[in-house]
Amino acid sequence: MPAASAHHERPPFWRNTNVLKWGVQILTLAAVVAAFWFLVSQAKTNLDDKGIPVGYDWLNDPANIQLGEGIDTVPDTMGRALWSGMVNTLRVAVLGIIASTILGIVLGIARLSNNWLAQKIASVYVETIRNIPVLVQILLWGVIVASLPELTADPGEKRWFFASQKGISLPRVFYADGFYQFVALLLVLAIPIWFVRRYLKRKQELEGGEQHVGSVTFGLFVLAAIIAWFANPIMAWPRGVFHAIEDAWAEIPQSVMQLILTVIAVAGAAWWIKRFLDSRRTPAGLAKLIDDDYFRMIFAVVGALAFVFVVWVLWPGLSSWIINSGSDFWGWLGDKFGGDRGSRPLDGMRPTVTEGGRFVNYAPTGWTLTPAFAALFFGLTFYTASFIAEIVRGGIMAVPQGQNEAAAALGLSRGQALRKVVLPQAFRIVMPPLGNQYLNITKNSSLGIAVAFSEVVQVGQTLYNKNNQTLAMYSIFMVFFLVCSLTISGVVNYINNKLKIVER
Amino acid sequence: MGATMDGPIHVPQDGDAEALDYTKAAPPEEPVTPPGRWVKENLFSSTSNTIQTVIFGGLLLVLLRFVLNLVFSEENNWAAVATNVRLLMSYNYPAEQYVRIWFTVGALAAAAGLSMAAWQLHPRISVRRIGVNLLGTGGVLIVMGILTPGATPSSIRIGMLVIGAALLVIGAGLLFGTEDPHLKHVSFTAVLLTISGLIIAFLWLFPLGKYLFIDGEAIQEDGTVSATTKGPWTVTILILLASLFVGRAIGKAIGGTRPLRLAMGVWWVIGPAFLIFLVLRDPEFDWDYVLKVDLPLALAFGLGGGALLYALTKPTFADQARAVGAVLMGFAIFNWVAAFFGWYAMLQKVRFSFLALALFALAAPTFAGEKSARLRFAGMWLGLVAVGHWLITGINTPSTLDITAPPFLGGFVLTVSIAYYVMLASFPLGILLALARTSRMPIFRVLSTIYIEFVRGIPLITVLFFFSIMLNLFLPNGMAVSELAAVFTGYTVFSAAYMAENIRGGLQSVRKGQYEASDALGLTGVQRTGLIVLPQALRVSIPNLVGQAIATFKETSLIAIVGGFDLLRIADKTIPAQTAFIGQKRVGLLFICVVYWAFSYSMSRASRNLEVKLGVGQAR
Repeated sequence: MPAASAHHERPPFWRNTNVLKWGVQILTLAAVVAAFWFLVSQAKTNLDDKGIPVGYDWLNDPANIQLGEGIDTVPDTMGRALWSGMVNTLRVAVLGIIASTILGIVLGIARLSNNWLAQKIASVYVETIRNIPVLVQILLWGVIVASLPELTADPGEKRWFFASQKGISLPRVFYADGFYQFVALLLVLAIPIWFVRRYLKRKQELEGGEQHVGSVTFGLFVLAAIIAWFANPIMAWPRGVFHAIEDAWAEIPQSVMQLILTVIAVAGAAWWIKRFLDSRRTPAGLAKLIDDDYFRMIFAVVGALAFVFVVWVLWPGLSSWIINSGSDFWGWLGDKFGGDRGSRPLDGMRPTVTEGGRFVNYAPTGWTLTPAFAALFFGLTFYTASFIAEIVRGGIMAVPQGQNEAAAALGLSRGQALRKVVLPQAFRIVMPPLGNQYLNITKNSSLGIAVAFSEVVQVGQTLYNKNNQTLAMYSIFMVFFLVCSLTISGVVNYINNKLKIVER
Repeated sequence: MGATMDGPIHVPQDGDAEALDYTKAAPPEEPVTPPGRWVKENLFSSTSNTIQTVIFGGLLLVLLRFVLNLVFSEENNWAAVATNVRLLMSYNYPAEQYVRIWFTVGALAAAAGLSMAAWQLHPRISVRRIGVNLLGTGGVLIVMGILTPGATPSSIRIGMLVIGAALLVIGAGLLFGTEDPHLKHVSFTAVLLTISGLIIAFLWLFPLGKYLFIDGEAIQEDGTVSATTKGPWTVTILILLASLFVGRAIGKAIGGTRPLRLAMGVWWVIGPAFLIFLVLRDPEFDWDYVLKVDLPLALAFGLGGGALLYALTKPTFADQARAVGAVLMGFAIFNWVAAFFGWYAMLQKVRFSFLALALFALAAPTFAGEKSARLRFAGMWLGLVAVGHWLITGINTPSTLDITAPPFLGGFVLTVSIAYYVMLASFPLGILLALARTSRMPIFRVLSTIYIEFVRGIPLITVLFFFSIMLNLFLPNGMAVSELAAVFTGYTVFSAAYMAENIRGGLQSVRKGQYEASDALGLTGVQRTGLIVLPQALRVSIPNLVGQAIATFKETSLIAIVGGFDLLRIADKTIPAQTAFIGQKRVGLLFICVVYWAFSYSMSRASRNLEVKLGVGQAR
């Protein structure tokens, strides 16, 4: 036996799994990179042939278009037009997320109700709506809104509610002058409230009984809000502070900012590698690292170095951009305080017809859903709500009955059991698929193009039909949607980690 | 692909805690409760329950009235849909050649019937369920008849009331007239025959009216549906029933449905391509050229390649097979590079054949074995060459169809074809991506992860626009792709990322022991993946894959935005532009809502049944 193992032959290199594995991988990587390079250079050649320069300079060109609605309906530049479209996308996405969550939760709970009628209506809703394409639904809502009665009100007429071919208009609440002062004062007042809350919580843990932690905190917070509503002018002093920061920020030399960014990148990579090695440490010493682990560490280092390279060589303007926009930000914030501002934090307004038979879109005349916005919003909300209802139902059903019984055995009331035992667990199950649905709403808002809603893809398409900058435009789309996706999944992951059951 | 479906699936064994219980019957149904007690228990059992009944009852009335108002509004002209059914189904497919469409429908019906027999689809349905469903439908119809707005034609209102009352009576009779309706069952065949009979009777007897389009003029006559519609549909339904019985007879005669299942699996993969490209498109073969070039080429590849593969699958020839495979692969890739730079001309078909042969040669060691196994492998190659060459030749031959607008597919046919082929094409791509993402090789994993997350982060509509506008920009001079093909490519690229995530879920559910066991058996990596891991993983991911199929089907509607003439585009743009039906958008949209709903809903029901049958839900 020992003789056999002594004669253990190394396989020839073409049968050595390590060589094969890395050979195939590197070949594939090379092929992918080559294909990319080939395609991009081909596209560049084709674009050059047509006399279309590749780049982003056109963002500053005059736009000469009019948008249906948005923060700026007659934008000066193409960049501004795109920005306006992005804000429209976010508007419909955020409102759709809020509305579909509420509707979805109601429907999901109704599907579990012991009332037969509620159960049936909810399940018929879900089974009908989720099996019809969202685009068809959006178009159908467009047709329905278009068949509403004509707007007959006279100019200047105020009502609580308008529903007409020109759109649906609701009363609107908006920030007034004192809003930032109000928030700042509320934050200041929150500090003592937090101490009271901590004190009560400790008392609850030490002495037991009912110390009314939640209700006392809530009551104090309401009190603080009332105080802040009236007393917010005392928060005028941050104006000077923020303007001082603005000046100081603008003074930072570019090289210092570059140095700071470098330190952040290098320290980040070092910290990541240290944490990674710590996670591989076992009581018996460092675990054996596989190829993959080395690859990850190398990847972290390469990433950090690439960032440093960008900061110093490729795009030194990044640092001055950060300096300028940081300074601008502090200046903008400073302007929100003090001065001759009014003290009212919020204001409201009823819808008003501004001209004969017309609203001014997105102006302070009530909250107007234009026909396109209404079609997209209703379509997205009703469609997504049917999926959220199923998620909520699944989440609640997935909490074992034993949890309820255990809570009852501990002497919790029904409400307490629901709030402290069942819902937190259901929430944990519901969160990841819910995040997915929020992503879907954001992505599906690009279907607004079918009803001529001025969201980012529609605006972008109008623009590239003018200047043929398709490649650059698509890169902007992709970055925008990727940022949205990453933001949503980041928030969902954060909440998820907070809610995770702590295991060993 | 048909083989993966009946591959050696997890065999339950003693002591295997998660062994699947195939014999598990559906949960027993509860006996019927008397109506009075039922109402009290389900609607008014407590104060909160009563409040819910009142609120939801009011909501139901409001919603029903809203929907009925949409459907029977005075502005709606339903003749716009009735006259344009053919346009919606097949766009401008020439009327003289319409028999091709019917042939396709008939072939699909036959295949569906045989598949029902092959997969032994015969659920037993209890009398109670039928009764409850009839009772519910009847009740809703009567409420609708009362609520429907004044503009509704009186025949429809009376029809709703009469049919609703009839269903109520029959349902009540079944529920309360029979003894123990929850224990009595009706066979699937009886239900199918009854439904078919009702549909045929409805087509031939119900006075829906004849709607025709002659020279751009809409013509409306009284009577039943026109004979060109009801005739073919009757035949189709009869074909479906006949093939179901034939399939059952075959199954009985050969004592098992496995061969039939295999045959149907293969048919569902390649059959639709034949229907689309050979039946519907009707290529005009140049027989002289076919006999001189195409046939010899196919024979050379089929027989030569078959002989080569038969030799390479000899168990002792593994190293030689790899070497030959590598050389062939190099040659095949070089052919494509040469094509890009235009070094030498070669038929596209030949390039594809060399690539396929290289892949087969590389896979040969995995299929090495006894003589019969080797013959089967060579036979697979022969079949692939035959099918592939015929299809490629057919696709590249000009069509005889006399169509004014270029795409010969349109309407519902386009919707279904695109959805079907996107699923089919993204399936292998999705498997590769999922394997790469779960593999232990870092570069593969990073590349696949970047691809998947990138694609999943952006909306489908931008992908479709990108491909329809940009694909030709990326291609070298002289190469071009039709717009529909570009959209199809983009959709496949998009769908593959989602497919990969669904399959990855399945891969992660395969237990570690399975990997260790196959390593212990001395299987190679390819064998382990192909024979042990993937069959189990795919089986677990079936429900998710059906879910994705439904989503794909629904999202084909986005093709309307990028320029294809699918169901939605015709209802939203084409019909409202006809002089006879200016602005009739709403009826068309409502109609296609029903079409989309019917297909998606039946798919989701079928998937739920499949889940129960496979026991997948429990296994996870």
